[in-house]
Amino acid sequence: MLRLVARRARAQWPLLAALLAVAVVGPTLLGTCALLLTRTAEQALETAASRATPDQIDVTAYTVTMRGEHARSVADDTRAVLTSALAPFATTTAARGASVMRSLPRAGAPAVAYLSGVEDLPARAQLAGGRLPRAGAVPAESVVLESTARHLGLTVGSRVGLGRELADDPDQGIEVRVVGIVRPLPGSGWERDPLAATGYDPAYRDGRSAQPVHAYGPFIVDLADLLGGGSTLDRLEISALPDLSAPSGRDLDTVTQAVLGADRRLGRTLGDRVRIQRVASRLPSTLLAAHDQQRVTTAAVLAVAAIGLVLTATALALAGRLSAGVRGDETALMSALGVGRGQLAGAALVEAGALAVLATAVAIPASSALHAGLTRLPPMAGAGLATPFGVNAAQVVSVAGGALALAAVLVVPSLRTSSPGVRGRRELLARSGADLLLVALAAVGWWQLRDQPTGSGSPIDAVRVLAPALLLIAGSAVTLRLVWPALRIVERLAVRARGLMLPLAAFEAARRPQAVAAGLLIGLGCAAATYGIGFDATWQRSQQDQADLSVGTDLALTLTAPPAAGQGRVVGAATGGEVSPATDRGVAVGQWLGGAGDPPRLIAVDTTRAEALLRGRLNDGRTWKAVGAVLAPPARAAGVPVPAGAALSLAGKATGTTPLTVTPRLLLQDATGLRTPCTGAPVPLDGRAHPLPDCATAEGLRLVAVSLPFAIATGNVGTGYSNALTEPPAGDSRVAVTLTVAGADSAASSAGADSEVASWTATSAGPAPGQLGTPAVALTGTAAGAELKMTTTVALKGPPDAARTLVATAFPAPGPVPVAVSARFAAEAGARRGARLDLTVGLTPVQVSVAEVLPAVPSAPGAAAVLADFDALSRALAVSGDFDVPVDAWWVGRPTGGEVADLRLGSVTTRASETARLTGGPLRAGLPAVLRLLVPAAVLLMIAGIVLHVTFDLRARAVEVARLRGLGMTRREIRAVLLGQHVGILVPLLAAGAVVGALATRLVAPLLVRSDTGSAPVPEVLSVWPWAAEAALLTGLLAGCALAVSVVVVVQARLADAAHLRVAS
Amino acid sequence: MNGGPLVGVRGVHRRYGSGATAVHALRDVTFELAAGTMTALVGRSGSGKTTLLNIIGGLDRPDSGTVHVDGTDVTALDEDGLSLLRREKVSYVFQTFGLIPVLSAAENVGAPLRLARVPPVERERRVALLLDLVGLAAHAEQRPGELSGGQQQRVAIARALAASPRLLIADEPTGQLDAETGLSVMALLRGVVESEGVTALVSTHDPTMLALADRVIRINDGQLDEHPGIRSDGRLDEHPGTRSDGRLDEHPGMRSDGKLDGRANGRGDS
Repeated sequence: MLRLVARRARAQWPLLAALLAVAVVGPTLLGTCALLLTRTAEQALETAASRATPDQIDVTAYTVTMRGEHARSVADDTRAVLTSALAPFATTTAARGASVMRSLPRAGAPAVAYLSGVEDLPARAQLAGGRLPRAGAVPAESVVLESTARHLGLTVGSRVGLGRELADDPDQGIEVRVVGIVRPLPGSGWERDPLAATGYDPAYRDGRSAQPVHAYGPFIVDLADLLGGGSTLDRLEISALPDLSAPSGRDLDTVTQAVLGADRRLGRTLGDRVRIQRVASRLPSTLLAAHDQQRVTTAAVLAVAAIGLVLTATALALAGRLSAGVRGDETALMSALGVGRGQLAGAALVEAGALAVLATAVAIPASSALHAGLTRLPPMAGAGLATPFGVNAAQVVSVAGGALALAAVLVVPSLRTSSPGVRGRRELLARSGADLLLVALAAVGWWQLRDQPTGSGSPIDAVRVLAPALLLIAGSAVTLRLVWPALRIVERLAVRARGLMLPLAAFEAARRPQAVAAGLLIGLGCAAATYGIGFDATWQRSQQDQADLSVGTDLALTLTAPPAAGQGRVVGAATGGEVSPATDRGVAVGQWLGGAGDPPRLIAVDTTRAEALLRGRLNDGRTWKAVGAVLAPPARAAGVPVPAGAALSLAGKATGTTPLTVTPRLLLQDATGLRTPCTGAPVPLDGRAHPLPDCATAEGLRLVAVSLPFAIATGNVGTGYSNALTEPPAGDSRVAVTLTVAGADSAASSAGADSEVASWTATSAGPAPGQLGTPAVALTGTAAGAELKMTTTVALKGPPDAARTLVATAFPAPGPVPVAVSARFAAEAGARRGARLDLTVGLTPVQVSVAEVLPAVPSAPGAAAVLADFDALSRALAVSGDFDVPVDAWWVGRPTGGEVADLRLGSVTTRASETARLTGGPLRAGLPAVLRLLVPAAVLLMIAGIVLHVTFDLRARAVEVARLRGLGMTRREIRAVLLGQHVGILVPLLAAGAVVGALATRLVAPLLVRSDTGSAPVPEVLSVWPWAAEAALLTGLLAGCALAVSVVVVVQARLADAAHLRVAS
Repeated sequence: MNGGPLVGVRGVHRRYGSGATAVHALRDVTFELAAGTMTALVGRSGSGKTTLLNIIGGLDRPDSGTVHVDGTDVTALDEDGLSLLRREKVSYVFQTFGLIPVLSAAENVGAPLRLARVPPVERERRVALLLDLVGLAAHAEQRPGELSGGQQQRVAIARALAASPRLLIADEPTGQLDAETGLSVMALLRGVVESEGVTALVSTHDPTMLALADRVIRINDGQLDEHPGIRSDGRLDEHPGTRSDGRLDEHPGMRSDGKLDGRANGRGDS
């Protein structure tokens, strides 16, 4: 038999070469997918880790409150814990600490100050004068921030005596010598400084004093001096940054587990030396998220591999059937000569085995080359995944397994020996049963996908891998059954034609028993190719939608510190776009705080520019402009212009003998709508004008609100400053306060922006509005500038520290703030349009009314979120006396410049970068790449199948072609008939395939697309059917198929000569 | 009934291959066929019958010599001209019947009429007439696979007559039929020659079929060897089945009007 197989192989080498070519495609695709899932996946994880930003991978240990004698050992032990947790990688650590507050006796008012130590100070601050402190000097050397130096009048060389610690077991006072003045660099961690690097807080509260006190600092000494100086430390944080420039997957997994356990180890190590300790890091979640992304990509790649394998199996089944047909006479002869079925099977197995070995031998280097080429093309090349030619074990096993499985498919047709009638019936039954089974499986797969949107969580989700292939096969099988009735209709119509060519082509197409495998291959190939394009477009669109919604705007600059007045102008200049301050933080809704780590979110931006600023898909044809118009106040607040550098002063008088002070807070609005408070020093109501420095710090500011918290001067606890009253106050005091803005044009105030009447409103802010009576405000213009006169009656009865705050605003009380809520918020809070809710923003309650329900709120995909206008929100906060308008970010619409990162104000995220990350990041790029591989593979297999089918068909029908010549048909007419017949079959099959592809894109693709965390994407996925690309594909397919058929037809028509006329049909 | 020569073959040579292995299929073949006659071409397998028929029908070309059919020099025609010749003047009946499997009997018969773009009404009338002529009116919608060999050959004859050809070439039309069915098919051919006035050239190696021919041409190793029983007017001499008027006499299965009787109407052909 072996000799027979060898001789047959020599004689039929073109047939075997065709079989080999088809058999190579599937294993090559499989091998490429195997490489993508092993080599590339590992590289992707490593590349993603190496590209992670420091804040994504650093590990920070926070320790709170430790006695001075423990400070150094705590620091050393903490470093050791962190370094061991990150052990596989080289690690750099940086520590910073701050002492508890000490009294500052010589400040002239109740004041506190603190020491600080920063390990890498040159990287975090710029020296404005002097030099950096050295360790071990006596007295300790320190540097101070510019603002601290200005407020305390410090210069290089100044000595400052700090009093006792405000602690349970206070250390003695110490003296420091100022050796330098520094300027904090933004984005370098100063937000965790006790005063957030402002250097001065005139109203500092830490719970130890009844009244706010002045706070100054930090006095930055060398870290060694801080740790060894005996001061009680309020906080010590040590950050460790691993070097992940060349990580291995195994080391990353080790580190993930170690970091997850570091918090517990640190607790055990430090014991009771510290009051609180915690290790925080985004590293585990970053790496776990990377694994999640890999899982999503893996499932998609396997799904594509499954489709490719099914296609190849179908092509091989067709090829096997055709070759069995060609060898039918030979097999019958062999059987007649007494060759047993087992021997025939043996020969077929030997041949198939040899074919599998050859296919494996070709597919291994082919898949390696294809993989290497694929990784050098976008998007994988852009993701840093370019890989040289290589082979690995998983690839070899996949290729060999696939080749053997496909060879088995090839063997089956050659083993059939039953009579045609019996086989026909059996095949019919088997095919019907298989079709029903496929449809049932596809339905189950779709149902599973729909009802388990987050996947099974296992590394390989069988449903996600198999469902698309099942749906495509089932759809193709079902539509295949519909093609023949359609051809019957064409046939009936063709009967009416007068000529022969059209009817004959139609008759041939409709009546000739077509190979099911050929029809299935054509339909399935077209379905797979169209589905590949449709899924790719759907996936890309979803990633774009997700990026739009998750960023919420074109460019988001998330601030590491509250913005200073005038910052908007700087951001605007750097980006060249529409700039708005943005609030993005958790809030409480009534008693509802949301789930753990998932609070309701408040997003506030300038919604008058919603169209330019907001991004994310809205349903029902709504626009952000329309939504924004509902949320924004009718007009902007006019306020009082405050020229840059203008002198502001405040003078107040109070009746009665009780000494009253006021700590004025001004709310200033810049051109971008940013509202920043400016807090003055406590001013005694003594009738004299007191300057308010450092408020008019930027161009284009407008004063939009003033807060006057009146206080009864009582002194403070623990600060070394005492001025306690001898008798409790009683009665009322009539108070008049005048705020003068020199150089301000009051007329400009009344003709302010956007036509809102510049009427000022005075209210008594909560929580005890009854403490003030008849608050009033009036704006007048004088030659010196604008004067804002505020009067009220202060009730002196009650606790000395009771709130007695007059708030004057350049706008009326806004009432409930109109908001748009996300669908999830509406569902969870039971909020419908028109509902009123109480939000707690910071500590201030704000009533809102639901004006819109949106699918999702920009920058809060999937969250229970509220979208408000920044102006409306800050008005509501301001009338409540809360001038700390929360600003977390700058949102920029339509930016033209990219220099905003240079401002070092915080992290910059753009829609474009987010889209690029989602579509072309190392962990995601494999999916679009393999989808693009599917399309040519499907087309290749389909055309190969068509060529095989047409070749065998026409060879079998050579005699018929000769008969047509005998009838008097010219070769041209014969070619037209044959071409018409085959194209007549191809067109409905391709159309059916396209319908199946479209159906699969609509039904399955949205269920397969996942977010980068593996969850269902937000916004909901919309299936995309890219008409242009699909039309181009179908046109190309039709042209390619027609060309392939034409070539075969021309050759066969030429070969069919008179000699065939004597051959029996 | 006899007219001038419809077919003229002059000095036709046909050789396959070259050199020492060359096979001379036809050597200097010359003859004429009178219009309206039925001529039997006999010879052993490989004697050159089919080659000669193919050359006359324009399916093959001679290496030398000329062939005229109804005044047309077949050897001078290009491919399209030959197709036109086969479409308008020459029809074939093959040993293997040559029916298009996907077409019904009626559609097979109508195929030449479609090629000639005959209007549908006229086409259907003609198809019905021809099927009735060959006794297969009841089988019009059956496909070749559903018909017996004899029935298929009747359909092939009907199809050959559809376009009213001047010359009907039948290449061993009874080769795949049993003797009785073959005889009925030959009788049918004889009948249609008489009724349709067509000229028939029929190759066969069955001596029993010769009786139905007006003339017998023997070909042997590529050369003609006229049958000795042919009269000077080209008719067979003393053939028992041929009447003096040239029609079949008392042939079983053939009625006096030249049509087949009931046995030949497909019922006994299987």
